[in-house]
Amino acid sequence: MTQILEQNSLYIGSDRLTWADLCHRVATRVARLAPGRMASQNTSWDLSRSRLGFVVDTMADALSYVAYGLSHDLDFAVVERSRLSSSVIDRFRDNGVTLIDGTTGHVMAPASGSPEPGRVTVLTSGTTGLLKLIPHTAATLNTFDRVQDLPENTWFLPYQIGSYAWYQMVMLGLFQPKQTLIPGDFNNLIASFEAALEQGALTAVSSTPTFWRQALLSIDPALLARAPLRSLSMGGEIVDQPILDRLAELYPQAVIRHIYASSEAGAAIVVSDGKAGFPARLLERDIARINLRVRDGRLFVRSPYANRDEAQSWVDTGDLVEQRGDRFYFLGRAGNTMINVGGQKAFPPDIEAHLMTHPDVIWARVTARKAPLMGALPVASVVLARPIDFDAAEQMLTRHCEAGLADYAVPRLWDFPTDIPMRASLKS
Amino acid sequence: MTRSDILAIINAIMVKKGRAEIRDEAQATREVNFRSLDFSETALRIENQIGRELSFEAAAMRKIETIRDVLDFFEGATVVA
Repeated sequence: MTQILEQNSLYIGSDRLTWADLCHRVATRVARLAPGRMASQNTSWDLSRSRLGFVVDTMADALSYVAYGLSHDLDFAVVERSRLSSSVIDRFRDNGVTLIDGTTGHVMAPASGSPEPGRVTVLTSGTTGLLKLIPHTAATLNTFDRVQDLPENTWFLPYQIGSYAWYQMVMLGLFQPKQTLIPGDFNNLIASFEAALEQGALTAVSSTPTFWRQALLSIDPALLARAPLRSLSMGGEIVDQPILDRLAELYPQAVIRHIYASSEAGAAIVVSDGKAGFPARLLERDIARINLRVRDGRLFVRSPYANRDEAQSWVDTGDLVEQRGDRFYFLGRAGNTMINVGGQKAFPPDIEAHLMTHPDVIWARVTARKAPLMGALPVASVVLARPIDFDAAEQMLTRHCEAGLADYAVPRLWDFPTDIPMRASLKS
Repeated sequence: MTRSDILAIINAIMVKKGRAEIRDEAQATREVNFRSLDFSETALRIENQIGRELSFEAAAMRKIETIRDVLDFFEGATVVA
């Protein structure tokens, strides 16, 4: 790894840096800030004796802390500040993870967990909407280790900091020779993709179908067509035939793969025949020690890339599949609550919990509404504790949400019923 | 639905998000920070007012650069075929 830290590079804005540069940047910060901030406890801070969660504001910091954590064999997690709701903080504390402000070095939420060297904790809501901390290691996250003779590539990295897909791409950059990353800018992801295309260096993109739909809609077709892309990977949501066909038409020279993976089960299915779904014969085979089976229409996976708690076990993915002819096709989630906002995952339970921290809110329910361009937007139904003009209430609660949630998770339409709906079960 | 009705919806969103109202249709959407999320919200609010789902042409959406383009786009999308 040490050699690759010096050799592989990535772009932060227009700066081309090595991973070693990023490591050094954080090492300086940790050495300067950590012992001083813990002085009140009259002790210096041996980071290897704690479970650590680095709370970051920028992609550069997130990447730096992963490189630093892995190269120092720490037990760590990286979490973006915008995801830091009260339930996320509670989840980390309950798991003994001390949250550290990655920018200032302040301890934000102390906890006392037993560290395991090399553990990388991934915060996920998966596709289920339930917050989970999933234990991984570099070995279970580095799913590219089974690819022999990976050609030299420059990858666009569009994923949200700390997501499972993001970690997979980071491991690609950290462990596989000659792999360069260009992280996207989440303030305007498509514009940053456009800029990366204009730069002319991109040869590979890992993304979701929604990302490609937005790119195809927003970016000059001539610019897209002349990009020398030779490797396209898609995952994270159902990959349909029209998007596969469109990309094959645009990039006839490219290998186009769609990958089925989850933070619990790991990367499990790689399909590169240009068709949606996956061949039924994969259920009978042992490929790289990965096994699949279908029970009652649900897909189960057993994989060496599963998180460590699930290693060697069959994982119920919760994804529904249906066999048509010699292929299986994905139908969606069983009991899904996630809202896909332009490829970003917004989770109604998190938004509702945040809304209900406002003193004027008694009850909140957040649902999805189909919307052009973004696919869906969160909409909120809120019962107020006191009479407030609806326009004023909307503005007040929008600001409250903007202060604690990612922008794509802020409800866009509101209604204010006067009563809390309740069923016979006494649940709403 | 009139052009000024659509502009009123856009400006209500801008104000709600703490931004200045649109004064000049020629302004670029990026310049005034009118984002994809705002575009989608505008569409839903128009749908609420006209009581039906809008139909879109991808090619027309791709050409949008200014607020004038947004207004033209929604004016076209609200016309009953």
